[in-house]
Amino acid sequence: MNETTVKSKLSRKDVFWSYVYWMMFALSCQNMERMEAPAFAGVMGKMADKLYNKIEDKQALMLRHTQFYNTQPMVGAMVTGIALGMEEERACGKEVPDELIQSVKTSLMGPFAGIGDSLFIGTLTPILLSIGLGLVGENGSAAGPLFYAAAWLVIMIPFTWLTYKWGYKSGITAVQTIYESGIMDKAVRFANILGLVIVGCITGQYVSFGIGWTYTSGEMTMNIQGILDGIFPGALPLLITIACWYLMDKKKISMGKIMIGLFVICLAGKFLGIIA
Amino acid sequence: MNLFQAILIALFGYLSSNYSPWVFGQLGGWYTMGRPLVSGFIIGIILGDIQTGILMGAAVQTLYIGLVTPGLSMPADLNFAAWMGIPLAMVAGADTEYALGLAVPLSFLGVSLVYVVASVNVFWVRKQEQWISEGKIQKAANVPVYASSVQFLARFVPIFLACYFGQEFITNLVAAIPTWLGDAFVSFGKVLPAVGFAMLLRFVLKKNMELLYFLVGFLMIKVLGMPIIAATIAACFLGFLDIRYGASGRGNGEMEVEEDE
Repeated sequence: MNETTVKSKLSRKDVFWSYVYWMMFALSCQNMERMEAPAFAGVMGKMADKLYNKIEDKQALMLRHTQFYNTQPMVGAMVTGIALGMEEERACGKEVPDELIQSVKTSLMGPFAGIGDSLFIGTLTPILLSIGLGLVGENGSAAGPLFYAAAWLVIMIPFTWLTYKWGYKSGITAVQTIYESGIMDKAVRFANILGLVIVGCITGQYVSFGIGWTYTSGEMTMNIQGILDGIFPGALPLLITIACWYLMDKKKISMGKIMIGLFVICLAGKFLGIIA
Repeated sequence: MNLFQAILIALFGYLSSNYSPWVFGQLGGWYTMGRPLVSGFIIGIILGDIQTGILMGAAVQTLYIGLVTPGLSMPADLNFAAWMGIPLAMVAGADTEYALGLAVPLSFLGVSLVYVVASVNVFWVRKQEQWISEGKIQKAANVPVYASSVQFLARFVPIFLACYFGQEFITNLVAAIPTWLGDAFVSFGKVLPAVGFAMLLRFVLKKNMELLYFLVGFLMIKVLGMPIIAATIAACFLGFLDIRYGASGRGNGEMEVEEDE
């Protein structure tokens, strides 16, 4: 954070609006060829008048950012901030080669996409959603969706803005700080454990499957489901979930096929009167 | 539902789709309004039955709680599942399980559309380059704004058509479903969330042994009957223990340990 370079071309307001532009339009021109590149070039284009006077410089600035780019837009907002900071340094006359800006972008987009997907989309969202689903209950309480929306926005808006601003201010040093402190590894690990336990919780809460069949021999009747519940409540939903995971992860069977399979089991089970 | 309601649903359906910029991009759109739990609430308000909307939304959300959509890979289209499935199930007066039965096929319908939009948008990439070379900087910077019209067409039109013209068809269809098939749908709807959770499990599980953490979570809810917030606190404690005393907490050894498996 010890910034020595003079950055004078962009005001605080400009930086804020560039952040808003990125957050809004990152995916709105998502395409097969360059993914999020049009939005990245767009951020630079919006700032071009502030950074350069000559039209050739503005064109060159935008063209530098029309190359393939793809990351998790929210968590990856920081990368856009970093690139903007570097571009400003360059516009202020500091020696910042094209290749450096390009390589910072390409080397960061992968890790940031990975962190974004596992920490935020894979862990935070399901936790908040499952708390929200818990609040919905039997009666359909509005507390559920309102809690989710409020919690998500309260966490994500400051997070994306602060990381964007930090990335813009410290440029390339921001990346080194993150990697050297080891905070990222611990955060990812913590989020993973939390995610695993929470998936277990919501599996217990939402998956249900029961045997409706009773075995009758003479005067003795055996309620199969009752016996199962006595041994391990929810054993069947648990086994089904683990089986689905096993088939998808280890046997590479598609989600669609598993859904069809489950439907056939339900249909046959219901027809034969085996399942409840 | 009347014409006005169908237009509103289609409009919100577009606003909450993945590539729509207008509600602060992904943050306010796809990951807030686009989650079926919240979508159901909005649809409930539009159709005048908030409670049913939320219950339907919660049912659809359960199935897709584990859906992670990196890059262009989209295993199921949440947008159609929520914005066609929930309103149609509501106007048909069906149970929440029917909403799931409706959402699943609709979710596959939308998948190919993501690729259509991403292919059409290549046109805008060309336009942007052209405008840059012509020196029209502001126009080039506005390309993502213009390009959002493609997503609008791909989302607004199908959702509107399905909601407005599909309601009678769906109502008749639901009424014609025999009891045994309806019962099968109910059982299916109850077991279906397993697929979503299995997908999430696949994403967060790094080593097979860590399935134990999953098991602990399951036991807390199913056997101990703990509420979800209490279970989250317990999960935080487990995470803390792992970082403090586990292999990953001791710094440098971590990478090797991870790769042993």
